[in-house]
Amino acid sequence: MLRRIKSWDSLGLRLFLLMWAALALSHMVAWSLVVQTMRGPSDSPGPPMHAQGDRPPPPPGGFNGGPRHDDLDLAGPPPRGEPSARIPTFPSLPPSLPWGSSLVDYGVRMLVIALAAWWGSRWLSQPVRRLVSAARQLTPALAQGRPAPELSEDEGTREVREAAAVFNHMAAELSGQFEERGLMIAAISHDLRTPLTRMRLRLEMGEVEAKVRERCIDDLREMNRLVESVIEVFRPGDEADPQRVDLSALAQSAVDDLAETGATVTFEGPPAVVSADPVALRRVVDNLVGNALRYAGSAKVSVELSAGVARLVVEDNGPGIPEAELERVRQPFRRVEGSRNRATGGTGLGLYIAQQLVRRQGALLVLANRPEGGLRAEVVF
Amino acid sequence: MRCLVVDDDAEIRTNLTAYLEGFGWQVSAAADGGAMRRVLAATKVDAIVLDLMLPGEDGLTLLRWLSTQPDAPPVLMLTARGDTMSRVIGLELGADDYLAKPFEPRELVARLQALVRRASKGLAVAEDTRMLRFGRWRFDRLTRQLVNAEDVGIALSSAEFRLLGAFVQRPGRVLSRDQLIELTRAPGVEVNDRSIDLAVSRLRAKLGDTAREPALIRTVRGEGYLFDAEVSPC
Repeated sequence: MLRRIKSWDSLGLRLFLLMWAALALSHMVAWSLVVQTMRGPSDSPGPPMHAQGDRPPPPPGGFNGGPRHDDLDLAGPPPRGEPSARIPTFPSLPPSLPWGSSLVDYGVRMLVIALAAWWGSRWLSQPVRRLVSAARQLTPALAQGRPAPELSEDEGTREVREAAAVFNHMAAELSGQFEERGLMIAAISHDLRTPLTRMRLRLEMGEVEAKVRERCIDDLREMNRLVESVIEVFRPGDEADPQRVDLSALAQSAVDDLAETGATVTFEGPPAVVSADPVALRRVVDNLVGNALRYAGSAKVSVELSAGVARLVVEDNGPGIPEAELERVRQPFRRVEGSRNRATGGTGLGLYIAQQLVRRQGALLVLANRPEGGLRAEVVF
Repeated sequence: MRCLVVDDDAEIRTNLTAYLEGFGWQVSAAADGGAMRRVLAATKVDAIVLDLMLPGEDGLTLLRWLSTQPDAPPVLMLTARGDTMSRVIGLELGADDYLAKPFEPRELVARLQALVRRASKGLAVAEDTRMLRFGRWRFDRLTRQLVNAEDVGIALSSAEFRLLGAFVQRPGRVLSRDQLIELTRAPGVEVNDRSIDLAVSRLRAKLGDTAREPALIRTVRGEGYLFDAEVSPC
């Protein structure tokens, strides 16, 4: 029974019922109001008579008594409906009314219809708004590995219930695929590590020519770097909560660690507190500086603080990136044309990972070529 | 020196055994938790190389079991990746060191030697609390940063982290440069008098100490440095 009623509950039906109810209600309210006010003076003898030419009030009982339309034709507004309408025509054909009462009549109708339209539009659009807010939550939920938002499938009109069911199905499918992808990547990476470890040990134990061994070890390292980068990108969200960290201390530590391994990299900057996940931020600094060292051989890291905005800047004297490719290099596995070789190395994921992590911190990664040559990468908080 | 390798992959087991024997170690191997317990019951070993991913009881379960044993040998954990998760395992579950697969065989040997050396000197091998408090500072060993009274994290470089790690384990004791070199040794990095002095001055800067009026790291002329603070877990 309930199901049968529900199957009739459509947006069209709701709209029809709403408009019908609003019309009927507005007529009824306006009519009864006007009748009330007009009945008033005729019932009480107190108030003075209307001036000459003024309309006499209709007899009590409204149109039941039969208004004298002919008398009013000159002074009042044009009568609505047939002038000779003697049959009760409530609610659509009330008797002709004097000016002031007409204004009240129309005003009240408009007001009631406006209120009904306002309330009705909210009523009708509510499910759509629910859908919009659920759809908005879907992307961050998937990105952070939270369960996808779910819409109620037995509330609202038929169309809304259908949309909710389709949305829920889509969200479940999507989050299932995300989860599967994470599990698959984890499985592949684990299963790759065992053969990689085996090969590394075999190279150490077997009778391999030194030169061949060196090259094999290099290849193993490269494969391992790729595995680690892929895990970094596809790892299901396990970010720590952001906390307040000193950006300069963090950049300084990263630079000190690189300098300890013999890299040419410098740092300067004032203390600047930002809100971020320190582990992810450190990864960003390492990626940007690593990129600079790879293409330019040296890097200059600094922190700038202006107008309450903290920036972490990594500059190099390398070849930079052609303007046309500045956006493209942020995509995974994209590299500047011609640099895809062993000499520069890298997996083609460094800038992509940096971009993803920077976004998760609510910051912005800006890449630009320096006028004096080289690349300038900025993390703007 | 005796070492026990626990890994479910037969080839890794045999090759790792042969590789370590090349360095003069006596090596036993076990494929799972049961075999590991049998070896430990029969012989005394100086260090264990334990794979995290094992069939049946995994590495973490075995690590927990080991921590309940009287004078269990130090454990080097082989993990899937050398990131934060592995550090959590190391710090909170009592692995003394960890290495991501695939590892450099040389580095494994260096780490094992360091573990055994530290254990033989009776030094605390595992750093088992994540947060320590001294003065108005907190020291977060997981994220490798100092946290000040305003809750702002101040990151430490590896050298500063190792140095502070050595200081907080021996507060109120004078440590010579040679001792600090020994305590802050790390594979692949050359630690010497100069690098110790440099790390001390950088650490002082981050702690708000000055060389003239040091509040936390005092210079003891002709002897070394002294960490002058009460350290407590938090």
